[in-house]
Amino acid sequence: MLGITKHFDAVKALQGASLELHAGEIHTLAGENGSGKSTLLKILAGVIRPDDGKIAIDGSEVSFNGVRDAMSRGISMVSQELSLVPHLSIAENVFLGHNQTRGKLGIDWRDTEKRAVEVLKRLNLNVNPKEEVSSLPQHEQQLVEIARAMAADSNILLLDEPTSSLAPNEVEALFKVVRQLRDEGVAIVMISHRMSEMLDISDRFTVLRDSKFIDTSPRAGVTEDWLIERMVLNKPKKGIRLEKSTEKPELVLEVKAMTDRGGAFQDISFNLYKGEIVGLAGLAGAGRTELVEAIVGLHPRKSGDVVVAGQTIGHSTRATMNAGVALVPDDRREKSTIHDMSIRDNLLLAVHGRPQKQRSKKSEEKIVSDWVSKFKIKMSNPYAPISSLSGGNQQKVVIARCLETKPKVLILDEATRGIDLGAKAEIYQILRELAAEGLAILVVSSELSEIFEISDRVLVMHAGDLTADLDRSNIEESDVVSAATGAKK
Amino acid sequence: MSRVFKLPRLSTMPAWFGVLVLEIILLIVMAITQPVFFSSSNISNIVRSSAIPIILGIGMTFTILTGGIDLSVGSVLAFTGILLSGFITQMPRTSAVLLSIVITTIVVGGINGLLIGKLGLNSFVVTLGTLGIFRGIAYLVTNGTTRSMDTGSLINTLGDGNFGPVPGPLLVVIVVAALSIWALKSTYFGRDVYAVGGNEFAARLAGVYTSRVKMTVYFISALLAALAGIMQVGRLQSAAPTAGAGIELAVVAGVLLGGTRLSGGVGSITGTVIGLLFLQTVSNSLTIQGVSSYWQQVVTGVLLGAAVLFDRFRVQYSGRRKSREENNVTKE
Repeated sequence: MLGITKHFDAVKALQGASLELHAGEIHTLAGENGSGKSTLLKILAGVIRPDDGKIAIDGSEVSFNGVRDAMSRGISMVSQELSLVPHLSIAENVFLGHNQTRGKLGIDWRDTEKRAVEVLKRLNLNVNPKEEVSSLPQHEQQLVEIARAMAADSNILLLDEPTSSLAPNEVEALFKVVRQLRDEGVAIVMISHRMSEMLDISDRFTVLRDSKFIDTSPRAGVTEDWLIERMVLNKPKKGIRLEKSTEKPELVLEVKAMTDRGGAFQDISFNLYKGEIVGLAGLAGAGRTELVEAIVGLHPRKSGDVVVAGQTIGHSTRATMNAGVALVPDDRREKSTIHDMSIRDNLLLAVHGRPQKQRSKKSEEKIVSDWVSKFKIKMSNPYAPISSLSGGNQQKVVIARCLETKPKVLILDEATRGIDLGAKAEIYQILRELAAEGLAILVVSSELSEIFEISDRVLVMHAGDLTADLDRSNIEESDVVSAATGAKK
Repeated sequence: MSRVFKLPRLSTMPAWFGVLVLEIILLIVMAITQPVFFSSSNISNIVRSSAIPIILGIGMTFTILTGGIDLSVGSVLAFTGILLSGFITQMPRTSAVLLSIVITTIVVGGINGLLIGKLGLNSFVVTLGTLGIFRGIAYLVTNGTTRSMDTGSLINTLGDGNFGPVPGPLLVVIVVAALSIWALKSTYFGRDVYAVGGNEFAARLAGVYTSRVKMTVYFISALLAALAGIMQVGRLQSAAPTAGAGIELAVVAGVLLGGTRLSGGVGSITGTVIGLLFLQTVSNSLTIQGVSSYWQQVVTGVLLGAAVLFDRFRVQYSGRRKSREENNVTKE
């Protein structure tokens, strides 16, 4: 039996939160973004230190002096962003942090690799330990990270949003491993934003809200409503579908026979009409991100045309932007926000291309304040760095920046990944309003619930092919799944 | 799909392989067109003149592998020589050599290492500062003049002479390179260097003391720059405040030519040795062909550009291949 209690007062990130963890259980830490979940995990892993409070393992109080110290007591964390060293071998990544075998002449690589294979086998991963870890697909890289924790003989495993970048079949594979570890007696703490996953895998729940401990309960007493009630003060409204006009829709975007130069997708054609929201579903690696990036000229393409309102557009980002196609990329941190710049400057990047006389301090202030109030962006002031915002609010800034270019077509790639439920609902609402105003919207998403929540029409990709174009009115979840996995009907 | 066995291909070849091929081609061309190139005196000249850049390059490789850079090496080389010229009249030569190296390493490595490793300042800015400081001190102490000295056999052997049949500088390079290769491949410290350069956050999360690793590489770079300073004195029988001016950029060029990535995490000592040897061979060949030394700088620049371009194609090729493989896997 193993119990951890923890109370402390950090600036605001966490106030007297507590968590009790037992051996051989999967414990989900639920709460919206900014509720302090990640902070709590980081403290447990020794990455940051609490200002106050206690941690006890097996009844005896401990305090961690850094990550190494926490690891030596059997606590390992797999962080939200993959933390592998891409150009080192798989074996080396497994034993990173000095768990390699030490031989007479320095590190004994042969034995290190042998041990790596043993650990990876436990996780059902059969790979060559000598290969660079970056050659593995993402979900296998994640298993390598878990292998690292196992190699350090951890009996407490902390998983910070392990599924946020995985496709459904990969999630299932991961959960199988997680369950197996639980059955071996490992205690697991997990953070997830996907309701169905949490309910599927957890043995116990602890809910945090506004940096505070709210409630804890074993799986038996927990339902979706139970969780939502505790996670958010105001329950998000279920999607209200705005009435669609019955006029004949106007064609806005045509993609014709597009083929990727690198082979990620081939011969893709589809149309987007004014005022509709189209979902683009598929598994990770199906080529969706490459496709939308090729449309806006970010990704090289071998052949194919993009036609906007009757005009064929050249293959460049500037041309597509001028033609009225805007993309919200899949990776906020890497592709869309400029971390060290303020909220205001991030938003105003959109107007940099405008003639000087249309730009004035006053007009810029107005642009910023308009969007902030329209999208209800929560912030201290517009001059604060964008990194000070929560994920949902950062995404709103990015969407506002795209809209400031006055697009006819808005493409969003995994726009709600890692965003809490409340902010998700707000973004869905924004998209519905925009569609009602006549914008054509393409939503790339790996979450089926999201696709179903907002789409009027659903496109499905599998292994680089467009395998289905389904109308929302007569569509079953199974249709999408079978098209996405390439199953034959 | 079998992941276990793969034929070696362009994307898995070490990055320095192309440079090695060029070096061999160059040697063959020179052997045919200019018989004087392969005279023992010219070969010995190439070996001796590339020793100092290679020693500096090995230190530079450590810093660049962590994602940093050390621009101060040329100044530190001159500073050590001046320091030695002061000590050599006061004490036995061996002690003077050791003392100059130790003092330089502690002072320079301490400043660079603390500011970059501990305080996390930008390596480019910090070492640009120390570049100015130590060059300046060298000028101040000597008032801009060159100091001749009687170096004796030890210093002379290190910088220019022979150790038995082997040129002294070559011996120094072999020992330093072998130790460095071993350290990078087979010690925890060496692997930490790659880990810090590849993904510093990941390394810290895995329990690596990243600031200590970063600090150590600047000590190593200062140590090797000091050693190169002693060698330079042995070669010229004098210490000049102008010694090694601008050499840091040539060294960086050689390191990058050898396949070390400027952003860190990828690279090797072998590559650095080959890269710098190649640059030296090129410059020697051009001199023998009677090409102006101004052209040599242009050629160095072009080669560097070509190497980076080649690497880009290599990476793109392998990236394309990978995405195709992933597709196949999903199709199965």
